[in-house]
Amino acid sequence: MHKSVMALSFTAALLALPAQAQTLNVATAGDQNMVDYIKDYLGPMFEKSHPGVKVVAVGTGPGDGGSQKIYEKLDAQKKAGAAAVDFDVVVIHQKAAGTMVQEGLLNKYRDKLSTGKLVTRDTATNSLGADVSGYVMPMFHSQTAIAYNPDLVKTPPSSYVELRDWAAKNPKQFGYNGIKGGMSGVAFVTGWVTAFGGDAAKLEAGPYDAATKAAWDKSLADLKDFNKNVIITPGNAGTLDMLNRGEIAMGPVWVDMFYTWKADGKLPPNMRLKLISPGMPGQPMYYAIPNKTAQEKLAAEFVALATSPDVQAEGIVKRFNWYPGIDAKNLEGKLDKAAWQALFTDISPEDLSAKGKPFPIGPYFNDILESYEKKVAN
Amino acid sequence: MSRPSLLGFLLIAPALLMIGVLFLYPLGFSLGAAFTAGGQPSLTHFEKAFELYSTDILFTIFVVVVSTLLTALFSVLIAGVLTLSETPWLVAGLRALYRWPLFIPFIVAAQCMRTFLAKNGLMNNTLVATGVLEPLQATSFLDWRGIIITFVWKQVPFVTLMLAGAMASIDRATIEAGRNLGASRPRILVELVLPQVAQTLLVGLVLSFVTMLSVLSVPMMVAGSQPTMLTVDMAFRINSYGDYATANALGVISYALSAAAAWIYLRHNVKREVQA
Repeated sequence: MHKSVMALSFTAALLALPAQAQTLNVATAGDQNMVDYIKDYLGPMFEKSHPGVKVVAVGTGPGDGGSQKIYEKLDAQKKAGAAAVDFDVVVIHQKAAGTMVQEGLLNKYRDKLSTGKLVTRDTATNSLGADVSGYVMPMFHSQTAIAYNPDLVKTPPSSYVELRDWAAKNPKQFGYNGIKGGMSGVAFVTGWVTAFGGDAAKLEAGPYDAATKAAWDKSLADLKDFNKNVIITPGNAGTLDMLNRGEIAMGPVWVDMFYTWKADGKLPPNMRLKLISPGMPGQPMYYAIPNKTAQEKLAAEFVALATSPDVQAEGIVKRFNWYPGIDAKNLEGKLDKAAWQALFTDISPEDLSAKGKPFPIGPYFNDILESYEKKVAN
Repeated sequence: MSRPSLLGFLLIAPALLMIGVLFLYPLGFSLGAAFTAGGQPSLTHFEKAFELYSTDILFTIFVVVVSTLLTALFSVLIAGVLTLSETPWLVAGLRALYRWPLFIPFIVAAQCMRTFLAKNGLMNNTLVATGVLEPLQATSFLDWRGIIITFVWKQVPFVTLMLAGAMASIDRATIEAGRNLGASRPRILVELVLPQVAQTLLVGLVLSFVTMLSVLSVPMMVAGSQPTMLTVDMAFRINSYGDYATANALGVISYALSAAAAWIYLRHNVKREVQA
């Protein structure tokens, strides 16, 4: 008798457990700072407003590879016929977002979201040529630019053409990380092909034509010559390290990493940025909610909090030096002037809108990388 | 009169199962993916691998072979000193120091080398500060040289550990006989000791060769990506294009390189057994 009561109450406790302690699994691609952002900043804030909920942040690795892992996991669970997938919110790059929408792995949730209307940038509807309208919320927008040391470079080049001539006159003073060491190098290369290889509008919006890559031969041959005058650095951080040690005078970097390193004292405070014309690529990271999450409502509330003007101002802009994912005008009044201006000193909002380009659409993007491997690197 | 025993089979079954599930099945799968396209047998992935990465294949062979040779040189030197030296403080110091890199993971070693070997890194700054080098002469070692230095630094202790053990267990009488007849210590090392431990040295070097071939972190962190090693290319194929087929073809090329090392080892082994 005694035993059965105990067993019964134990079973009851087990059954009641999931209702009391809910777990929201957030999987994020990107560098460690992405995991930190969710674990240390967003997660605790959400847990405070939702008692009994625990936010678990999982990092899947930097770059497109991290998003690829999230895609593979969701795809595998779909193919295995899982009733509920393991991730409730995913943070992904553009390329994976397009694939995941096309394969029906994501929930169309944005129109139901209170913050859904605050988004204006076209990357929220068009992800490298794929229509992702309604499926994603931009978490932030990050941009590449050329960082330079004003002690060594008095007048920085203002375009790719000037940069090419500058590198010829100042051998081994420009450094970038090729295409296998992170996205800042990839951004520099796609920017180069867009600048010298022809039809920029077609690369950014399509339609895709496999014959286009033949027109890049000249620009890639030039890039091979250019590479003889530059240093290939080990990774995004490698470029910043070399700038810091004075081994190179100039190199392409992510704006957010640049400011964070500067704030941490890992770069001299006099370092500057320049967004060269005709433009360099940037990209958003997206919040998305997988189909078949067990926590659909909670996940939507999490994204709503993450894209609210307050969090975007304090977390995205002030703490992590990213450009906001929602329209910047919603942030006015939420940020002190100093924080706002710090982000726009070197690159004005006008520059950003004129020269902040999207990456080329998926198939052109792959063609550029592969043509580079074939004609420049090998 | 031994007959197949069910119990014996049961005992090794878990190990066999692990090898089957975690090694043979993925290996077969990756071989299959490398040699087929659209369900048909094809070599297109290999054509692509050679078209895009021929320089990297040669670079990988160069780096790994040079690293293996340098590893051999340094481990023979250190093990030789440990076995033959008559200077107690030198032996004690070396013995205490040489194993340390064994306990440091490749990725940590790579991170250290990244700042140590840079143009304005710790090594060059020290040389400049001590007046050995002029600041303008400083060059960056963050290229193939950096990879080789890191590999050799990591693998020398491993091979030395095996080699010093083998040298310690050979018959001291042979060494003493050599000394009595007036042979110098380097000569004893090369002509008396090394031939007796050649087998162990070869095993250590083959294992090092295969290990270095498979390291991703070092080429990725120490050197720029042009040219780079096959592991980086494989990771890039998968991360950037989701292209497992070409990555598998590159994988098969690295199996072939490891197999070449294994073949040298086996051939040597068989020859010895025939002689014995």
